[in-house]
Amino acid sequence: MTNSVHIALEAPVLPVDAVPSGKVLRHRLVNTAYYTVCTVLALMFLFPIAWSCLTALEPASEAMASPPHYWPSRFSLENFINLAQYSQGIGHYLWNSASIALMTVSATAVLSTLGGYGFSRFRFPGRDLIFMLILSTLMIPFQSILNPLFILLRAMHLQDTKVGLALVYTTFQLPFSVFMMRNAFDAVPREIEEAAVLDGCRPLTMLRLVMLPLVGPGLVTVCLFAFFGSWNELLAALILISDARQFTLPVMLLNAQSGQLGAVNWGLMQAGITLSILPCAALFLLLQRYYIHGLVAGAVK
Amino acid sequence: MKISAFVKRLAGVVGASALVVSSSAHAEEISFWVRAADQAFVEPMVKAWNDKHATKVALTVIPSDDFVTKFGTAVAGGAAPDVVAIDLIFVPAFAQAGQLSDLSAEVKALPYAKELSPSHMRLGAYNGKQYSVPFSAESSILLYNKQLFKRAGLNPDAPPKTMAEIQAAAKKITALGGGVKGFYFSGACGGCNIFTLTPYVWASGGDVLSADGKKETLDNPALRNTLTMYRQMWTDGLIPGGAKTDNGSNFINPFFTGKIGMMGSGAFSIGLLKKEHPEIDFGVTPLPGAKGGSASFAGGDSIAIPATSKNKKAAWEFITWCLSSDVQIDQFAKGGSIPVRADFANNTYAKQDARVGIVSAAMQSGRTPYSPYFNQLFNDPNGPWLAMIQEAVFGKGVDPAIKDAQGRFKQILGN
Amino acid sequence: MTLLTRQRQLAGYWFILPCLTVTTLFFIVPLFMTVWMSFNHWPLLGHPEFSGFSNYVDLLQDSSFWASLWFTVKYTLVVTPAIFILAFALALLVHRGVRFVGFFRTAFFLPVVIGMTAASLLWTWMFNDQVGIFSAILMDLHLIDEPVQWLAETNSALGSIVVMVLWKAAGFTMVILLVGMQAIPQDLYEAANLDGAGRWQQIRYITIPMMRRTFALALIMSVIGSFLAFEQFYVMTRGGPFNSTITVVHWIYRASFTYFKLGYGAAMSVVLLLILLALSVLQMYLLREDHD
Repeated sequence: MTNSVHIALEAPVLPVDAVPSGKVLRHRLVNTAYYTVCTVLALMFLFPIAWSCLTALEPASEAMASPPHYWPSRFSLENFINLAQYSQGIGHYLWNSASIALMTVSATAVLSTLGGYGFSRFRFPGRDLIFMLILSTLMIPFQSILNPLFILLRAMHLQDTKVGLALVYTTFQLPFSVFMMRNAFDAVPREIEEAAVLDGCRPLTMLRLVMLPLVGPGLVTVCLFAFFGSWNELLAALILISDARQFTLPVMLLNAQSGQLGAVNWGLMQAGITLSILPCAALFLLLQRYYIHGLVAGAVK
Repeated sequence: MKISAFVKRLAGVVGASALVVSSSAHAEEISFWVRAADQAFVEPMVKAWNDKHATKVALTVIPSDDFVTKFGTAVAGGAAPDVVAIDLIFVPAFAQAGQLSDLSAEVKALPYAKELSPSHMRLGAYNGKQYSVPFSAESSILLYNKQLFKRAGLNPDAPPKTMAEIQAAAKKITALGGGVKGFYFSGACGGCNIFTLTPYVWASGGDVLSADGKKETLDNPALRNTLTMYRQMWTDGLIPGGAKTDNGSNFINPFFTGKIGMMGSGAFSIGLLKKEHPEIDFGVTPLPGAKGGSASFAGGDSIAIPATSKNKKAAWEFITWCLSSDVQIDQFAKGGSIPVRADFANNTYAKQDARVGIVSAAMQSGRTPYSPYFNQLFNDPNGPWLAMIQEAVFGKGVDPAIKDAQGRFKQILGN
Repeated sequence: MTLLTRQRQLAGYWFILPCLTVTTLFFIVPLFMTVWMSFNHWPLLGHPEFSGFSNYVDLLQDSSFWASLWFTVKYTLVVTPAIFILAFALALLVHRGVRFVGFFRTAFFLPVVIGMTAASLLWTWMFNDQVGIFSAILMDLHLIDEPVQWLAETNSALGSIVVMVLWKAAGFTMVILLVGMQAIPQDLYEAANLDGAGRWQQIRYITIPMMRRTFALALIMSVIGSFLAFEQFYVMTRGGPFNSTITVVHWIYRASFTYFKLGYGAAMSVVLLLILLALSVLQMYLLREDHD
C-alpha cells in the first residue's frame, strides 16, 4: 500500500527545528513566528464553522440582526426549534439523508468487498479488462450521465425513492471503492488463505471469517467516502428527487435559503448548516487516519 | 414490474423503521404545491381546510424561481402532486404538454363559472378544453409611502400620473436623506419585473411580445423609455444598492422599513402592510405610461390537477372550496387581496378600503401575455428578460441590452 | 483445466458480478444513453424524436453555452493556481512533525469534509451585505462606509467564490503535496544542510524539483474539480450577475430541467465528457512521463 500511514494528520511530537548550537535566541524567534502564523491560519480555517455554530445558538432575533452581533447576549435553542418545525420538520430531512447515506454505505461496502476480493484472489478470463472497465468510469464525470439516469430511474419506477438515489450514489462510489478493496486484499499474505483452503473453507466463508477482519481498515475508508459522498451530494438529489417529502438535507437547506417574501431566516439556516456539518466533522475527527489514507491512495492511483 | 414492486416493498420496510413516520401513509391526503410567493396566504388557508375536513391537504412550498423546473421534473417523473397552484402564465406550457387534467365538465357544472376571472380562464384553456381555474388574483400597481410624500413636499393624494412624475418624485424623496430612497425594484428577479415593469411599457403603447405571443417586440421606444427611466434612477442613486441583487426574496421588504418612496407591487401588499406594518401610511395608484394612461399585469395563480393525480375527486373538492366564499372572501378578501370571482368583487372588506377598488379595477383592465415559453423568456433567473434588465439598468446600457435580448428571445421563440 | 480451477474461475465471476451489474446498469448504460439522447430532440414532457446532429449544430451557435464554457475555464485558471500556492505554503508549514502540527493539519483540512452545498450556504451568509460578518468587520474598522455587495459584481463574485473554494479545497491539495514532500529522502536535506544551504535554497533546489510529479497530480486534480464546479455558483450567485457566473454543469442542468430539453443537455454533456477525458489522458501522460 502507499506510504500514507505517517501522513495521518496526527503527528509525533518533535521540536520545530534541530537547534544549532549557540543560536537559541534566533531559534526562539523562529519558533514564535512559526506558531503565530500557524495559529492565525488555523483560526481562519476554523472561523467560518465556529461562527456558524455560534450564530445557530443565538436567539433567532439576534441571528437576524443587521449588522451582526459578535457575541450573543444569551444562548438559545430557538433556531433549532424553528428548524424542527420548518416545512416537514428537520427530522424528516435528516432521516432522508441519513437513510440514503446508510443504504449507500452498506451497498458500497458489500459490493466493493465482494468485487475487491474477486479481483484480487481469483483468476478468470477478462478479469483485468473488467477491472479496467470499472476503474475507467472514474474518468467520466457523473454530471454528464444524469439526464439518462433520470429517464432510467423513471423507467424502473425508482424515481423519487431513497433506494433509487442510494443506488446511484453507490454506483458513483464503486470504482474508487473496488480499487481500494482490491488493494486491501492484495496486501493480505496468500499463506493465510492457503491454510484456510486446505482446511476446506469455501470462498464466501473464507471471505467472511478470515479475510474480512484483515481488510477492516480499507473497508472503513470505503465506508467513510461513501458516507461523505452521499450525505453532501446536491446535483443528483436535485434532479432525481422531486417529491418534497423525499428531499435530502442539502436540497432542503437550499430551499430554505431561497426565502419567501419575508427575508431569509438566517438563524434557522445556520442551525441547518451546523447539523449538516456536524456528522462529517465528527466522523472525520474520529476516523481521519482512514480518510486521509483513502484520499492518498485514490489520488496516487 | 416485479422488480419495482420488490423495491417499493423494500423502501416501505426501510420507511416503516423510520423514527419519523411519513404522513403519506394516510390514504386520505392530497398533496398541494404552491410557490413561495404565495406562502403567506396559502398556509392559513390550508390550515383552515385541515381543521374542518377529514381529507388532509399536505402543503409543499417550492421556491418561486424553481417552480417550473421542480414541477416539470416531478410531472416527468410521475411524482406530481394532486393539486398545484401555478402562476397563470405557466398553464399554457403544461396544458400543451398534456400534463394537466381536463376540467371542462367540472367547470361547466359550476353555477358561478361565468364569474371566474377571464384572464385566468383564457390562459387555462387549450384546444377548447379547460385545464385550470383561477386561484388567486394579483394585479400590479404603484405602491407609495404617503408619509415620505408629505415630508418631501409632495401631495400624498395626488400620486404620479406619468413616468416623468415618478422620476421627479423619486428625486425629491431621495433628497430627504437618512437612507431614504425614492424608488425600489427587485433587480435580479425576472418574474417581478414582468409584473411591475411591463405595465409602464404597455401604458406607453409598447409591448414585449406580439399579441399571439409568437414574436418578440422588444425593439420599441416604450420599452427603451422605461428602461432608461430605471437606469437614470439607478445612476442618480434614487434606488438602494440592494435592488441589484434582489432575486425577489426582498420584493416588498424594503418598503416595510418606511424608507422607500415608491415601488411597483401587487394587490397583496395592501393586506400585508395593513397587517404587518400598520404604522406605514401608504397609497396605491395605477402604473402610468410616459404620457399618462395606465396599465396593469393581471396575474395570480391558477389551480389545476396534474394528469397523474390519483385523488382527482378529493382534489376537485378542495379546488371548489378554494373558489368558495370561505376562501375568496373570508381568507383572501379579508387579507386584502382580490377575489377571483366577479360576484365577490363587492365584498364587505373591499368596501372598507378604497385602495382595494383601485387594484380591483387594475385587475379588470389588466393584461396577461400568453406564451408557452414564458418561463424561459421571463421568469428564468438566467433568462434573456432578466439579463436585459440587468444590462440595461446596471450594466452596459439600454440599447445593447435590448439588442442582445431581442436575439435571445428570437432563438427561444423560434424553437 | 481442472475442476477446481474451473470452480474458482466461476467463483471469481460470482464475486464481481454484483458490482459489475450495478456499474453497467447505472453507469455504462446511461453513458451510452447520453450519446444516444444527444442525437434526439428529447423533451422532458412528451416524446423523443431522432434529430441527427441538430443538437450539436444548435450548440455551436449557442453563445450562452460557449460563454459558460469560457467562464468555467476562467474560473479554473484563477482558482487552480490560488489553491496550489496556498496549499504548497500550508504543506511547507506543516510537513514536519513538530508539536501541535497535528492540530494545524486537522484545522486546515477540516473544511474539505464539509459538503460543498453547506459550505456555499455558509459563505453566502458571511458575504451577505446586511447580516454578513465580512462587511460588518470592515465597517467597524472604518475601512468602508457602506456594506459591500460581494456577490453583486462579476469580478467580486468570482473573487468571493474563489476565497470560499480556497478555504474548502486547499487542505485537500495540501495533503497530496504532503505525501510528495515526505517521499523526498531526508538525507538530501541533511546533505544540503552540511553544505550550508539555507531553508529557502533547500525548498528551491530540493523540494520543488523532487515534487514535480506530485505537482502535476495536484494540478490536474484541481483542474478537473474546478471544471465540474456547480454547487458554489448555483448556491452563491445563481449564475448572476448578468448570467456571468454560469458554469458548464450549471448550464447543462438548466438546459435539461429549466428548458426541458434533455437531448440538448445530453449533447452538452458529451462535450463536457470529451473535455474531461482529454484532461484525464493529459493526467496519465504527465504522470507517466516522469517515470522515465
